[in-house]
Amino acid sequence: MTLTETRPETDPEHARAALPATDQSPAATWVPPTGLAGVLGTSDHTLIGRMYVLFAVMFSGLALGLGFLMSLEKTDISAVYGFFGDANELFQVFGLYRTTLILCGLVPLFLGLATAIIPKQLQATTVAYPRASAAAFWMWLIGAFTHLVATFAYGGLGSLQVGAAREASVELTVLSLGMVALGLLVGAGVILATLVTQRPAGMDLLQMPAFSWSMLVATGVWLLSLPVLLANLMIVWVDMRGVEALRFGASDAPFVQVSWAFDAPQVYAWTIPLLGIAAEVFTSAHRSRPKLFEPMAALVGVFGFLSFGAWAQSFFNDADLSAVDAHVVTDQVVFVAYGLGIALVVLAFLGWLAYNAVTSGQRPEISPQFGFVVLAGVLLTAAVLAGVLRVAGPALGVLREADAGLWAGFFDAMDDLSTSSLVTGMMNLAVLAGVLAGLAGLFHWAPRVLGGHMSEPLGFLAVLTLGGGALLYGLADVLAGFFDQPDRFFAGANLDAIDAVRFVEFLNVVGLMGVFAVVVGFVVVAVDLAFSVQAKGDG
Amino acid sequence: MADIAVGAPLAAPLPRQRTLLVGTVLATAATLMYFAALFGVYLRERAQAIGSGNNWIPSSADIQLAQPSVAAWTMLMSVVTMQWAVYSVARNDRSHAIIATLVTAMFGISVIITTSFQYTQMGLVADESVAATLIYTISASHLAMVTVGLVFLGLMAFRALATQRISVQTDGFVAASVFWYAVVVVYVVIWTAIFVLK
Repeated sequence: MTLTETRPETDPEHARAALPATDQSPAATWVPPTGLAGVLGTSDHTLIGRMYVLFAVMFSGLALGLGFLMSLEKTDISAVYGFFGDANELFQVFGLYRTTLILCGLVPLFLGLATAIIPKQLQATTVAYPRASAAAFWMWLIGAFTHLVATFAYGGLGSLQVGAAREASVELTVLSLGMVALGLLVGAGVILATLVTQRPAGMDLLQMPAFSWSMLVATGVWLLSLPVLLANLMIVWVDMRGVEALRFGASDAPFVQVSWAFDAPQVYAWTIPLLGIAAEVFTSAHRSRPKLFEPMAALVGVFGFLSFGAWAQSFFNDADLSAVDAHVVTDQVVFVAYGLGIALVVLAFLGWLAYNAVTSGQRPEISPQFGFVVLAGVLLTAAVLAGVLRVAGPALGVLREADAGLWAGFFDAMDDLSTSSLVTGMMNLAVLAGVLAGLAGLFHWAPRVLGGHMSEPLGFLAVLTLGGGALLYGLADVLAGFFDQPDRFFAGANLDAIDAVRFVEFLNVVGLMGVFAVVVGFVVVAVDLAFSVQAKGDG
Repeated sequence: MADIAVGAPLAAPLPRQRTLLVGTVLATAATLMYFAALFGVYLRERAQAIGSGNNWIPSSADIQLAQPSVAAWTMLMSVVTMQWAVYSVARNDRSHAIIATLVTAMFGISVIITTSFQYTQMGLVADESVAATLIYTISASHLAMVTVGLVFLGLMAFRALATQRISVQTDGFVAASVFWYAVVVVYVVIWTAIFVLK
């Protein structure tokens, strides 16, 4: 039996019980292992999906803990590294926060839900390649832990000063991030192959449930963008293997090269399944079936197309590394068009939800998943509107060319936004919108993923803390961006350029409170998950 | 379940879903994106170096066109033999399938040998220039791709030749051929972008 064939799903306990009492020798009938061996060797899609979800929640909480530390540093932004030892430590955490939150938290959360749910939505027995799915999970998990260890061993994605990081640890960080990306790539490929090949006869792609459709679009975009990330990491690693890194592996170049994966428009690509989960949970709360499914599917497709961001790599726009600036990309017409286009798509999708709510004629059934989805929609809308502000300067540049004096101050302020903390605020809003949607999916499909319902009271508590905290956390950075707080506030940043330092620090305190609430919300979800899994075990 | 009369013909089994072929197409697409990114970086860096009046390839290096051209033609010939293998497997022609598979594998191995020989001849030191870093990254990635293609082809051949009717493995051979054609396409781009343009 090879990787391409599928062993029928067998419950180990049932298989044991089914053995004849007189012949229980291992040679007579193969019995799947149980316990730890069963977990390590499983190719059961539900169990793999459950493990993805558990570790993704854990990594998301860890990443937000790092976000809390960075917010703590920003509460006194005029002081030089009051909390972190030096700029390089802060830079390491800055990079680790992004890689952990997105590649170890958000994307695996969606992959876990998809691995557990999609075969059931398609009435298939399992995913297309169960063993490849298990291999992808373990590859991702080992890579994610190695990535954490390597970064904390004074590695990270490069360093700000020569000798500020251990070169071997930086190489390990790069390799482990490659392992994470490869694991996610294989996992995405398995889901996409499942969606293409495992549908029952007669079900075409547009007859799939909304979540399955959104995962089709998402995994398609991920399948095209993760190899680009791998190529970036490969070039960095090869450059670092020599006597001295020449360009790609030098100083903070590794982070700059992969930073497109954590910035617009690619950051939206990681949140594509949000739309599918929102469509399913929202219509389910109104006790109706989705109306106008095809237009909604088209919107998800356009959102996926516009969010492909592997092309937006500012690093390669100038041979001089010191000239690297996010501005280089944001000034491009296509970048501006993508920023505006994505906002229009999200607004149209909200219109589709509103249409379904109105035509259902029912009041929504209030549940934690409904709360999560509503807040995820609010966060995503805030993120894309912040994205519009980010590209507003270049977009309105045509008017400025016509009359240089026209609203000069306004245009300058808009231009400055593209390198301000608005960028991080926008990323946080979009990613946390995705995380909230993932949690909505977890509550919605808990009986199928976990084997039992999750606690509603704890769920509502998580909605309040996570949703409210995420809004404060994201919007504080967006607003501070209008006062010229730099995005990379540690690397030769011109902190003197910040307008109203005291007010910016107040905003940063608000952001700190927000991220603290988010961390508390994750603890609540983790407790809820633990109770649910334990209750299933007791049951 | 409806009763089935004794002696009645069984319903024809549903055709097996082409999961291997679909998975291979997806893996091939991802691999091509990986190389597209590498080529994008290579051509961008090259354009910037030449645009600022610098040498792209270090003057100490001597990159001949002979070995890459031989390798490119070898790869192109392997397209024919690969298709010959698929054709033979689909028609249960065991002997031709064996010959075509072996010749395809031989072509792949000869490309690895030619590229390795070229490494020893071109005098390009890996950590002395950006161009060398990228050239070695791209060509070594391609060598890895050739190796994966050979292993894939070997696995499919092993499975086919272990059965009475080798045509049952047609899907596997088609999948291996899809990946192999991508190997060839990538080398043609390497030959053009790196060795012809220099």
